[in-house]
Amino acid sequence: MNRAFLAGLVRLAITLAVIGAVILAVLVPFALPHEHPGTVIAAFLLGPLSSLRHLGNVAEYATPIAFTGLAATVVFRSGLFNLGIESGVFLGGLAATTAALLLPSFGPFTPLVAIVFGAVVGSISCIVPGELRLRWEAPEMVTSLVLNFAILYAGVFFLNYYLRDPAAGSLMSYRIPADAKLDRLLAGTRLNSGAIVALVACLAGGVWLYFTRSGLNLRIVGQGPVFASHLGLPSRRIIMQAQIVGGMIAGMAGAIQVLGLYPRFSWTQLPGLGWTGIIIAILARENPFYVVPAALFLGYLQVGGDFLARDIGIPSEVVGLITAAIMLAVTATAIFQHPAVLRLIRRIRQVEAAR
Amino acid sequence: MTDRRDDGERAAGQAPVVAFDHISKTYANGTIALRDVSFAIPARTIHAICGENGAGKSTLMKILFGLEGPTGGHVLLDGQPVSTATRDFAGRHGIGMVHQHFSLIPTLSVTENIILGHEPKKGVLIDRAAARAKVEALSQRYGLAVDPDAITGRLPVAAQQKVEILKALSRDTRVLILDEPTAVLSPPEINELFNRLRDLRDHGITILFISHKLNEVRSLAESVTVLRAGQVAGAARLADVPDNMIMQMVMGRPVEITRREPRQVTGAPLLVMSGVSLASRDPADRLRDIDLVIHPGEIVGVAGVDGSGQRGLVSLVTGAARPGAGSISFDGEDMGAASTARWRACGMAHLPSDRFTQGGVPALTLIENAIAGTDGDRRFQRGPFLRGGAISEAVAGMVEDYSVRALSIGERLDSLSGGNVQKLIAARELATEPRFLIADQPTRGIDVAAAAFIHKRILAAAERGAAVLLVTADLDELLRLSDRVVVMFGGQITAVLPNEAQLTPERLGPFMLGLEDMP
Repeated sequence: MNRAFLAGLVRLAITLAVIGAVILAVLVPFALPHEHPGTVIAAFLLGPLSSLRHLGNVAEYATPIAFTGLAATVVFRSGLFNLGIESGVFLGGLAATTAALLLPSFGPFTPLVAIVFGAVVGSISCIVPGELRLRWEAPEMVTSLVLNFAILYAGVFFLNYYLRDPAAGSLMSYRIPADAKLDRLLAGTRLNSGAIVALVACLAGGVWLYFTRSGLNLRIVGQGPVFASHLGLPSRRIIMQAQIVGGMIAGMAGAIQVLGLYPRFSWTQLPGLGWTGIIIAILARENPFYVVPAALFLGYLQVGGDFLARDIGIPSEVVGLITAAIMLAVTATAIFQHPAVLRLIRRIRQVEAAR
Repeated sequence: MTDRRDDGERAAGQAPVVAFDHISKTYANGTIALRDVSFAIPARTIHAICGENGAGKSTLMKILFGLEGPTGGHVLLDGQPVSTATRDFAGRHGIGMVHQHFSLIPTLSVTENIILGHEPKKGVLIDRAAARAKVEALSQRYGLAVDPDAITGRLPVAAQQKVEILKALSRDTRVLILDEPTAVLSPPEINELFNRLRDLRDHGITILFISHKLNEVRSLAESVTVLRAGQVAGAARLADVPDNMIMQMVMGRPVEITRREPRQVTGAPLLVMSGVSLASRDPADRLRDIDLVIHPGEIVGVAGVDGSGQRGLVSLVTGAARPGAGSISFDGEDMGAASTARWRACGMAHLPSDRFTQGGVPALTLIENAIAGTDGDRRFQRGPFLRGGAISEAVAGMVEDYSVRALSIGERLDSLSGGNVQKLIAARELATEPRFLIADQPTRGIDVAAAAFIHKRILAAAERGAAVLLVTADLDELLRLSDRVVVMFGGQITAVLPNEAQLTPERLGPFMLGLEDMP
């Protein structure tokens, strides 16, 4: 068997053990006051797996965050910590709604046109901080964070004055026309064809990063910027490419979320999907192939949380608590770079090499 | 301007203020930095410590300053053994250090920087008046004039260094360590600094002066200890020894050098630099009026003390910097504004001095590092896709050919030892059959076998007709490989010498140290 694969298993096993321990550590204090603490934990852990419909819910939750996780991965791989993906999602949703409402129908291609429009407009949110960084060395983390809110309020202004349905009770757009909506895949859930696009996008992203020349160059620029300049790679162009692609994926996430799930566009706050995408990217170790399982896992936690809220009365915010604790644990160098772990991995490799 | 007043006699009879007693230091990773170092420094003298990079000077000073503990032996202060690696050791014992890279906070005022860490207090507040008075008193006492209210980062470098010295003196200092203090200064500023240092000695402060510039050592210090490879290679009173003896101590016993037969170069030169200058923020990178030609098949070795302009020279011929004046041409084409990509396209290959940041990406695999930069190579690519099978085969061949020792080519680059990393980088850079090879410290820090292997490959590249620019601090390597030797000092070429039998490290030394200039 492949040594690197075996050594990878050690990390996977530790990751799973850490995640399990964290879930229990957070959940047990909530479960203990309950009559049957076991049922609480069972509801959380097994509930999401209990029926096809619930599995559908998991996938439904996972769809947008797989997109944003992929977007964050692409952007981070360029070496920039560009947080513009958060407003990219918002902008993508708004632009897709605008296209659906204001452009004529393109028959079966209407959703496609709306999504592409959303992606292109959404990419602005990542392009602007990237350009500011490349041209004037303005720290992209700060500019993207601030730009997120500028885009939100400009978007709300646009919604209020151009898309608002005066007949609706609160601030929301006109109804999105039926031919712009995505197909539902599973009865009783909101799972839609966007999930398939997300899966394909993540696989394509993985192929790009690991099996193409431009993906290799992107990883070289992100992880070895000095080396990249010594090679004579066009670093600025490669970095900007990643911002554009990442921003477009974020915009797609927003477009697919709105067209797949909602009757109208009604975001007046940042949806938070971009932030979750950053969590996914870190959890997936910035590997697009791992983004899918990571997104499904967070979806699974979310559905488990819904079970707690619905059946047991434990607030579903617990899920946020668990996610945060998992983030702390799985990024802990103290665990994954622990000398004992590194020794174990080295020994496995050497034993294999000796054979 | 030499000043050789012998203050050793004044201190006679007292215990030496600092003595090292069989100091050894082995780091956790097995590197031996110091081996059984013993010597003493009499009070009220200026004592120089010389040696090449990596000779152990800095480690020894870190031990004296209390930043690290020795793994064997003792430091003695006034004849008493002390344990150095304890909290605030240096402050308590009156040892101050002026670091090569200033330890000042640029946004704070001069006063704030000097009192930082031992601020005079009024209740819980800093007593600013007392602090200012203290700085003024210090400044007057030692004749180091600074404006206590100036913002440190806005001062010129020489003034910042005064602040750094005052900071080091601010705690009843008896021993002052200066680590390469002249590297950032111009000649008049160096003179001024030396005068101040002599004043300090007359005030009763013992000064440890770390340098590899022999002329400076001679003009300032009374005695010198030379370190080589972590051991004391010699000690002397400067009045008693000639320069070449100290040089021999620094560089080691003259080794028998097997030179290659100098080749007859024919035809037009490939690289021509004329009157090239380079402006840079770092004075060590600045260049003035460089004239250099390299012919096809010729190896030109660049000798010089670290920071004499070699880095600037390399940055110009790799497209990392553009010349401020003068012209650079390669094979008849003007390369004054050429980018790295353009240089590469012309057949430039580069073995950089910093293998892990400039030569590869530690977190990527051997395969990925080996094919980096081969964009568009049909063997490795089909359209945008990498041809995994063909690449693995080719990289396995490179690893075999260059005898890179690795568990597998799928391992990360940082799983290899330094020598093997360098062999892989050489395999990649030479795979393109370059017309112009830049080898910057190609064998620094790698084992003898790997070094010999790299040498063979560099020679083979030259045989094939490549022009080679070899920058190295290893004079043995320089004389072994070069057809012609160029010596740099202070950003200028001070000598161009054919590599003949009478060319020895001793002959090169005065040029490298700026003591001699070729007419």
